[in-house]
Amino acid sequence: MSELLNNDLNSTDLARENAALISPELADTVTLTSIDKAINMLSQIVSPIANLARSNSVWPLTFGTSCCAIEMMCVGMSAFDISRFGSEVFRATPRQADLIITAGTITRKMASALITLYEQLPEPKYVIAMGACTITGGMFNDSYSVVQGVDRIIPVDVYLPGCPPRPEAILDALLKLQQKIRTENYAKRRVQAYQQRPVCYVDYDCGRPLEDLLAMAMEDTSLALDQK
Amino acid sequence: MSQTDTNKPNETKEMELGKFGKFLKDNGIDSTRKDDSINVETIVISVKDLEPALRLLKTSSETKLNMLLTISGVDYTDRIDSIYHLWSYDHNDALVIKVELPKQSQANTDTVNLTSIANFWSAANWHERETYDLVGIRYLRHPYLRRILNPWDWEGHPLRRDYKQLVDALNDKNPHSFR
Repeated sequence: MSELLNNDLNSTDLARENAALISPELADTVTLTSIDKAINMLSQIVSPIANLARSNSVWPLTFGTSCCAIEMMCVGMSAFDISRFGSEVFRATPRQADLIITAGTITRKMASALITLYEQLPEPKYVIAMGACTITGGMFNDSYSVVQGVDRIIPVDVYLPGCPPRPEAILDALLKLQQKIRTENYAKRRVQAYQQRPVCYVDYDCGRPLEDLLAMAMEDTSLALDQK
Repeated sequence: MSQTDTNKPNETKEMELGKFGKFLKDNGIDSTRKDDSINVETIVISVKDLEPALRLLKTSSETKLNMLLTISGVDYTDRIDSIYHLWSYDHNDALVIKVELPKQSQANTDTVNLTSIANFWSAANWHERETYDLVGIRYLRHPYLRRILNPWDWEGHPLRRDYKQLVDALNDKNPHSFR
């Protein structure tokens, strides 16, 4: 057991960052370092079991921006039946999903929305870059409005080439992702977790923050009420 | 507006007015006929005649061109055309109207102005926004002239001839492409 603890002593940033702050008198008591140790140790035991469960219930987000989305719908229907692998629950909100299948070309205008969606997914979250457009920009590569690969804005786990890929290929990508999830370790995953950033909601037409616009609207209504 | 085509010196004689050209002339609006586009009569009218002509063609029982299919813009380097495609359900007729807008100067090419028709033809609202977004015709007195397809902070108008494509972290492949 002690060997386990020593191996993972420096594996998390939390332990490393706080090592200097903890005085020697408190070293034996419960500190952040010891919590980290416990997490590291537990994750080695729990992760294989938890990963098996998680990998068989990867819920994708309903996200389709062009023709790849047709194949994504097809894979949910009975002919290909993605529910055999536990991913049939296409969620309409990122808060309940684990996976984004970026099905279709991402334009510069859609890029900000996709980043917002990715940030709203709860950790652990995965991305399958589906189709040529989301890998390199595809045949719209030269266009003024297209993002040349979705990996330029969000991290990608599995690349799925094709234009569009067959439904079997989507299943293959999902199986690859499941393999990846099964080999994961909770503590290591936690260290490299995506840093959350504050999101500012902006009006698409004029670029002003929605808070300002709401405040303006409230002011206008109160003025109108005063005049009455 | 009678602009002779410098590209085709053979076609110096003016084409005979078509059905809608004659109708407009009867109502005191001058027009020049151009080559038909896909068997649809194509006329060029001046900027000041655009609004009365469209009002007339839309409401008159003789023409009843009461459907505005699209508004588009074309950049010809020295001028920009605003093009209106009209259609009539009742008579199964179509008409293409072009308005030629010379560019003000080479240095400041963004100032191409035209009066909006969105105030009496609501179908024009989004089409004019799109033409403003992509070609950069500024439709004056439009109720909400903002970009419709590109993000609000876009610089330039992508379908202009002199548009230089942005190169940044999202879009920097193929440096030798035609952009």
